[in-house]
Amino acid sequence: MIRPKLTVGRLYKETRERLKLRLLTPNAGFEREITDSELHRPGLALAGFLELFTYNRVQILGNTEIRYLESLSQRARKLAIERVLQYDIPCIMVTDNNEPPPELIQVATRRFICVFGTEYPTTRFSHYLSDYLQNEFAPRTTVHGTLVDVYGIGLLFTGRSGIGKSEIALDLVERGHRLVADDIVIITRKAEEILMGESREIALHHLEIRGLGLIDVRSIFGIRAVRVHKRVEVEVQLVDFDPEADYDRTGLDEEKTNILGVEIPLVTLPINPGKNITVIAETIALNQLLKIYGHHTAEEFNRRLMEKMREKERQHLLNLKMRDFLDKDFE
Amino acid sequence: MIRKKVKIENKYGLHARPANMLVRVASRFKSNIQLAKDGYVVNGKSLLGVMSLAAEPGSEIEIIVEGEDEQEAVAAIEELIANKFDEE
Repeated sequence: MIRPKLTVGRLYKETRERLKLRLLTPNAGFEREITDSELHRPGLALAGFLELFTYNRVQILGNTEIRYLESLSQRARKLAIERVLQYDIPCIMVTDNNEPPPELIQVATRRFICVFGTEYPTTRFSHYLSDYLQNEFAPRTTVHGTLVDVYGIGLLFTGRSGIGKSEIALDLVERGHRLVADDIVIITRKAEEILMGESREIALHHLEIRGLGLIDVRSIFGIRAVRVHKRVEVEVQLVDFDPEADYDRTGLDEEKTNILGVEIPLVTLPINPGKNITVIAETIALNQLLKIYGHHTAEEFNRRLMEKMREKERQHLLNLKMRDFLDKDFE
Repeated sequence: MIRKKVKIENKYGLHARPANMLVRVASRFKSNIQLAKDGYVVNGKSLLGVMSLAAEPGSEIEIIVEGEDEQEAVAAIEELIANKFDEE
């Protein structure tokens, strides 16, 4: 998926309120691009050690860096700043309401590098900014499908165009479940194993129903019928019923699908006329909930069955033994 | 119509996996396939039915098949059971 570049200008626009950013340099350097989700505190670089200097990251100047710069003579301070700013740094953030030395503003302005100030202390600021950057650089893909929150489980319906994904979503919404995205689902991997799905902004909470056209689900069904984003937990693949095909009947062997390196259960559902997919979808969600709570229906059933057979086998052997004894009993 | 008695000899009896294999094999045929044990008769193409026989190792079930491909159906089911469902 092609995503827009993250420029300093966009970062400022999207996070200035959240991060309480103040622009300290004239309006220049907004087009510089941020290419790394990590942050860097350039203390050692300011002190002159420039090996392994990760200049392509957003640079954070906290109390330590500012105090260090203030401790230098004006000449040494200017030299330290120029040494670091000769690199193509995306931007500089000065935390904890620190007043940056005038030399920093001068050199940064000349080099077209933005300097921002914030009242947040370094640790908290880094946390907030990291969160934004992690999300921005998270692996992302789009899936042709429909995402619905069914009893709190995110069901991603996939299948060929016209098989009825949107109609199932409409039916589920009617039964009190919540639509997340129809047609195009944007999936982002959070942390290592969480898939988050959402709609494209323009299509938010709309369904396309053949014969009717676009349906505004939020206007028709109200706020309870929609959700902005939802974890994707099970893929339900709708296929045309094929009498020759083998479908899972026990539920013992769980099929998996892989999205962005995360494995989630895959249920392949053959569609034929008269089949109530909505109720089946609800059951898939409830069954998944049971599994999360540690109850695996198919395994549980099989365990009971095997126990019963073992018992019968034991009884049978006992009977044989008794018969054997009676056979030899000639009293 | 063919009726044939066979002995279940795999280690754990007709639990979910062997029952599933049996149902899959049975479903390939057009014939009406029934399995009988201890007076119960179940549809050989229904998983829940086959499992509910709870046919333990050493027990005997009767295969009752009727239809155009009954010969092949009985042979296939017999072979599956004789091979102990490829379990061991």
